[in-house]
Amino acid sequence: MGAMEHPPIFRLPGVPDHVTYTWIIMIVLVAFAVAAARRRELVPVGLQNFGEVVLETFVGLVDELIGPDGRRFLPLVATLGIFILVGNLMGLIPGLMSPTASLNTTAACAIIVFLTYHWIGIRTQGAANYLKHFMGPVLWLAPLMFPIEIIGHLARPLSLSLRLFGNMTGGHILLAAMFFLMGLDGLLGWALSGSAGGLIIGLPAGILMFVFILGFLVPLKILVSIIQAFVFVLLTCLYIAGALEEAEHHAEAHAQHH
Amino acid sequence: MRRLLVLVGLAVLALPAAALAQQTAPATASPWNAPFAFLAAGIGLAIAAGLCGLGQGRVAGSAVDAIARQPGAQQRIFTSMILGLAFIESLTLYMFVIAIILVVKY
Repeated sequence: MGAMEHPPIFRLPGVPDHVTYTWIIMIVLVAFAVAAARRRELVPVGLQNFGEVVLETFVGLVDELIGPDGRRFLPLVATLGIFILVGNLMGLIPGLMSPTASLNTTAACAIIVFLTYHWIGIRTQGAANYLKHFMGPVLWLAPLMFPIEIIGHLARPLSLSLRLFGNMTGGHILLAAMFFLMGLDGLLGWALSGSAGGLIIGLPAGILMFVFILGFLVPLKILVSIIQAFVFVLLTCLYIAGALEEAEHHAEAHAQHH
Repeated sequence: MRRLLVLVGLAVLALPAAALAQQTAPATASPWNAPFAFLAAGIGLAIAAGLCGLGQGRVAGSAVDAIARQPGAQQRIFTSMILGLAFIESLTLYMFVIAIILVVKY
């Protein structure tokens, strides 16, 4: 895998690549936000218009999933969503690397979500009330339910981080393998080698593979990037909503999870 | 190279005596059970992906049924479907991560 994939063009010495590209995304997003919010007008034009469209999507999602109390968590949810979306799509530009294809980045995001929703639950319901959620519906089931709930809650950041990481890395490996088969070491290299078989079979197959990659795999990767960012945001909202709600709603939302 | 390793692995599987002999040999190559990592990664990921495909097919089919019966609820059904797909898919991705670990480690 390492031999097939090209290392990113821009690297800082001593800094891991995913950190470098996280910083690049931060700079780009902050610059965009400053440029979009510099001259705010009632009727938005240009960058402000685009930014408002993006934010309204997140506002709708938060309103629908968390409820009327959800606007408080819009900064967290929207920041995570935009960062992950840009990070996912960045890997599709040749020469750049997507920071979400590293487990470190996704685990950082997932741990932030994990700590945040527990903090929200404890703040809104009090520590004792919140702990009661872990005890299950009946008291005598508590010794059984408590470890299960603890494991279930610990599995949430694990699955959040591994899902994003696995999707991104899997897509990259797939694209790398397909380009490797197509490229100068593969079918096109066979065609360029000058042999008759290469010209008859390798050239059409290489062109077909090029069309297949650009026409099917790359759009699929874009779709997966968007869906995974959406899923991350969706699950963040659901976890926050689960921490906000009372016990009986909590059990219901939890049944959906399993 | 990997195909060779897999063949060596199959030979080792067939001949336990050879495995013992290889084990006692000086450790110049990778350990005798290294080829099994590739077998495990490939077969395990194939099983996981196949079963995940079955499950996701059921999810997508049911969602299309539901949308066909009630097109008004399309948005909510779609959200639930994406959620279900994500949970099913994460099980395959666990196997994918394990496969990466197996392939990279050996």
